[in-house]
Amino acid sequence: MCAFKYNPAASREVYNLESGKYAQQCMQCGLCAVTCPARHLMDYTPRQLFKMLFAGEVDKVLKANTPWLCTSCCLCTVRCPRGIPIIDVMHSLKHYHFEKGTKAPVATLSKVFFDSMMKRGRVFELGMTNAYYMKSGFGAIKDAMKMQDVGMAMMKAKRLPLAPPKKVKGLGDVKKIYDKAVALAKEGH
Amino acid sequence: MAYSFYPGCSMEATGKAYGVSFEAINKALGLEAKDIPDWNCCGATVVANVIGDFPQQAITARNLALAEKNGAGDILVGCSSCFMNLAWVNERFKTEPEFAQKCNEALSAAGLQYNGTLRVRHLLDVLVNDIGLDEIKARTIKPLEGLKVACYSGCQTVRGVRRPDFDDVERPKVLGQIVEAMGATAVPFTHAARCCGGSQQFTNVNMIYDLTGDVLEAAHQAGADVIVTPCPMCHMNCDAYQKKINQVKGRNYDMPVFFITQLMGVAFDLKVKELGFEHNIVSPQKILKRFGL
Ligand code: SF4
Ligand code: SF4
Ligand code: SF4
Ligand code: SF4
Repeated sequence: MCAFKYNPAASREVYNLESGKYAQQCMQCGLCAVTCPARHLMDYTPRQLFKMLFAGEVDKVLKANTPWLCTSCCLCTVRCPRGIPIIDVMHSLKHYHFEKGTKAPVATLSKVFFDSMMKRGRVFELGMTNAYYMKSGFGAIKDAMKMQDVGMAMMKAKRLPLAPPKKVKGLGDVKKIYDKAVALAKEGH
Repeated sequence: MAYSFYPGCSMEATGKAYGVSFEAINKALGLEAKDIPDWNCCGATVVANVIGDFPQQAITARNLALAEKNGAGDILVGCSSCFMNLAWVNERFKTEPEFAQKCNEALSAAGLQYNGTLRVRHLLDVLVNDIGLDEIKARTIKPLEGLKVACYSGCQTVRGVRRPDFDDVERPKVLGQIVEAMGATAVPFTHAARCCGGSQQFTNVNMIYDLTGDVLEAAHQAGADVIVTPCPMCHMNCDAYQKKINQVKGRNYDMPVFFITQLMGVAFDLKVKELGFEHNIVSPQKILKRFGL
């Protein structure tokens, strides 16, 4: 007897995300699971994630660290026999999480990156790093202390400029494009 | 040949050695690579997490539109992460009319549009297909004889458009061909297109220790003297985190990590000062000495 419950309706919210629909095409072959370089750190492999969606176990999917550990290396995506753009599904899950206010470290990093990018049109790595630790609190600062030697070596090798890059002249244009794109994305895809 | 060059943020910062040595190679080979005027950051692999894929792709597309308008030629990219973003958006413009229309609607908010007339080319693609291996060989003044190189192409370099582009998506050859054209030996290297852990240094540093640790181990096992890469993030992880990985994993690597453009500079006998070696963290001296530098 098969204990697997099939309840895709419960997962509609996820399937309706920007690239969520592709998760429905998974045939559970497991190739992505053996492919992923980060699988040993993940709660669930991409294959398991998609199976949980079939079963309607949305809560579990949304708690999984899987998308946050995806490095966008694209290996699963070029291998998937169903042509599922797994990295896009991961992006959509992360975006969804983000909108729900997740405290995942990568979410915080992504936010300071985005802020830095929108401030000048180009990112300022050192400023972004500082903002990340300010936002992440004590635990992250303790981690940062352990990494001080790497930071110092980068400084010494002049790979972390102290001054931010020049502001892009068309920064206003970047913002206009962003606003319009967000509005278009909301209209549906 | 002329190109619209997309430098990306890292060539000025963490990948400074790449920016500097690219410039030197650029001059030596007569690549006319002019920066895309007023280019903006592409958002790397993280901005979509905050705003979604489409808005990030629209912001990236501004660069394609500016390059097309400027008319200097196809887009040349060195940073693999930038390459993936620009090349993938370009691919979508060419293969998904609906996407192209919607993206142009977003661009029109800034009075821009993109007609999809350009190609987005990785530096390795241009080196092997436009410059050519014969020219690289002909330019080589100091053949890198006896130098054993682990050619670390990186993942986004060869999987930017999610299908074979200028190289194989799993077993890349191009970087090895370039290295061998300069007289060095490309050792068989299992991790040429494996992930180094990307930008997880602050968020999941164990991932860098594990994955970059594997890359270093594979290079070591292959008997390499040096790792060569065209990717700023691969470079940072292998170079700046090497000492840390030695501590954490109880290893003992002393493996210099060069950008491909730095190695070309050595073979072409360019001024060593112009190759940005002061930005390398694992000392490049033992390699440079072998070639009288
Ligand atoms: S490789 Fe594709 S089809 Fe196979 S389990 Fe993974 S997502 Fe599903
Ligand atoms: S793209 Fe993400 S999920 Fe896929 S193999 Fe790479 S890290 Fe794993
Ligand atoms: S990928 Fe990185 S370096 Fe390249 S533009 Fe985007 S943020 Fe900057
Ligand atoms: S190997 Fe690492 S840095 Fe290089 S392209 Fe892949 S994830 Fe990015």
